[in-house]
Amino acid sequence: MTRKFFFFSEMGYNAYPVEAFEKYGYSALLFPNSIFDPEKARDLWQMFLREHEYASEMGFDGSVCNEHHNNVLSMQESVNISAAVISQRIKGTIALIGNPLPIHDNPVRVAEEIAMLDLISSGRIISGFVRGTGIEQLSTNANPAYNRERFEEAFALIKKAWTVPGPFRWEGKHYHLRVVNPWQLPLQKPHPPIWAAGILSPETIRWAAKQRITYLVLGSALDATATCRDIYHEVAREDGWAPTSGHLGYLIHTCVMDTDDEAYDMGRHHYGGASVIGRSGGVAQSALSSGTGSAGAAGGGPHPEWMAPPGYMSKQAKTSNMARERRMSEGSYDAALRAGLIVTGSPKTIIQKFKHIIDRTDPGYLTFWAREGKKPHDATMRGIELLGKEVIPALREHPSALVTGKEVTPWPQ
Amino acid sequence: MAAVNEAPHMMTDAAGITAELRRGGSGAPLLVIHGEFGVPGWLESFAQLAEHYDVIVPSLPGYGRSTRPDWIMDVHDLAAWVTWFARDLDLRTPANVIGCSLGGWVVAEIATVAPQFFNKLVLVGAMGIKPERGEIFDYFLEGGLTGLRRAFLRPEQSSEFMRYWGKEWTAEEADLIEQHREMTCRIAWKPYMHSLTLPHLLPGVITPTLLVWGREDAITPLECGEIYQHAIPHSRLTIIENCGHMPEIEKPAEFAHLVENFLAG
Repeated sequence: MTRKFFFFSEMGYNAYPVEAFEKYGYSALLFPNSIFDPEKARDLWQMFLREHEYASEMGFDGSVCNEHHNNVLSMQESVNISAAVISQRIKGTIALIGNPLPIHDNPVRVAEEIAMLDLISSGRIISGFVRGTGIEQLSTNANPAYNRERFEEAFALIKKAWTVPGPFRWEGKHYHLRVVNPWQLPLQKPHPPIWAAGILSPETIRWAAKQRITYLVLGSALDATATCRDIYHEVAREDGWAPTSGHLGYLIHTCVMDTDDEAYDMGRHHYGGASVIGRSGGVAQSALSSGTGSAGAAGGGPHPEWMAPPGYMSKQAKTSNMARERRMSEGSYDAALRAGLIVTGSPKTIIQKFKHIIDRTDPGYLTFWAREGKKPHDATMRGIELLGKEVIPALREHPSALVTGKEVTPWPQ
Repeated sequence: MAAVNEAPHMMTDAAGITAELRRGGSGAPLLVIHGEFGVPGWLESFAQLAEHYDVIVPSLPGYGRSTRPDWIMDVHDLAAWVTWFARDLDLRTPANVIGCSLGGWVVAEIATVAPQFFNKLVLVGAMGIKPERGEIFDYFLEGGLTGLRRAFLRPEQSSEFMRYWGKEWTAEEADLIEQHREMTCRIAWKPYMHSLTLPHLLPGVITPTLLVWGREDAITPLECGEIYQHAIPHSRLTIIENCGHMPEIEKPAEFAHLVENFLAG
């Protein structure tokens, strides 16, 4: 398949006062919503939606939206509402990454809403499903110990609702529905493409490979992403099939500006704790001194329990090599750059960096996380323009060394 | 008789699982149902009680080394399991039973449906009741150590806190803490650590009941003990001063003495 290039923004509430971070040491769950200013949020929404629209105008193939709760990280408390609005502002695909299934008590509602989206957008929807972070479980009171069971059961129920004529009854372990018979069904057949998205839980990668659905790696270091691809391919090999590039998506912090130096400075907005998923302490401190974004923010802090409440994460996931690789890249902004958690540069530099990334991971869907933190709107728009006009055209036909067997493009010095 | 400092510690196939069991002493059976932290060892209070009783301390399914069947999803399931386990063990009933914290909730549920199971009942800092003023401390918003420390008024002055939890945990010990947190999550996530029906059923409990609460219980408010006491007809509430949520560990001698007097009376 031809590689697709998407735009992503958490659309985070970046209007928080920095002092509030210092005071509380975290930015999620118990971060008091008295800090929230609706008028600022209204303006942010308009700015963020304009950025999506502009990405479409500049030649991106689509936009990616997601969902978080009780968190300045993202103002998207319903991924389906985000997708509905964005679908009316862009021409391309809308990938939802996605609906956090375990937090829903009626997964058929999710099936209905995705069908509506697919119909309204004339079949431009990719339906990603996620387990949700630990904070999502705490925010919505979804039992974290049953997170994976609920995810898998909801997934099976939604898929059946889309593919098996109703009405039928569902009496499962976590879901019990007298009548499953959603009136509206998706336009795309048998259903919209389904993705799983995650931050490298080995079980989810294996599960996605078993389902033969695309796995989207969320903002992780390059080495860890390469390992993820290996696991996916290994499972597929065991099952006797060969994945294509379309089975891997890679979402990656990207800051392109006219010069390397400008991009390096602006890239700090991708690093730190402004939109940290509930983390704090050192991360919040680093945000104050270094940046305002979320890369490099995956570990530490006084409340890791919020990210991994009891039973949410397996022992294997906590101790896996990938978890370790991810942690290793969490030291500083420069460490995050070295690990490939954040990619910065002029168009020329960044094209070479992404050729290296494509050579090592061959993602069919490359998603540029190109707006983050308190990054100014004009810089974001310039970055979108450079990505659309210069970077994407140069990468679109670049074949991965994993396919050609040629040498990996070197990382620029 | 000297304190029974060591007790046989075994795995036994019972009630559909392989269960970890500690048992020591001789006399009438005294069944102890542990709380959300599991059974860290043969406690000093067990040793003292074992001078006069056959003290039987199983680890509930999913706690300690007891296996976890996936069908156990709430406290009623655990309550049913306890009665099955007692039958498989040929436990002579009616028996004396102690239930600590989460285990107190489990045995209170049994008391509402199977009075013939009990001779006398001791509930210690028991979960299961929603306080009217305060809140039950939410373990799941904090880490394992934070919750453990909060369960003691002065953790550093408790020899058994220090012995079992006061040093740096090995990977295995940390895993066990997380395993207990997960199991507790499975059964008591929502409504958190309480039942909406239990308060209405407690007036039907006919078992003589001793309620033991630490004055400074920062997990299950003392108010919960008062609600239990008002609800259970033949109950009395005894408060241990300068003590947190786990009198059986923080004040072992005083606790054991109270229980002995109650059971003998």
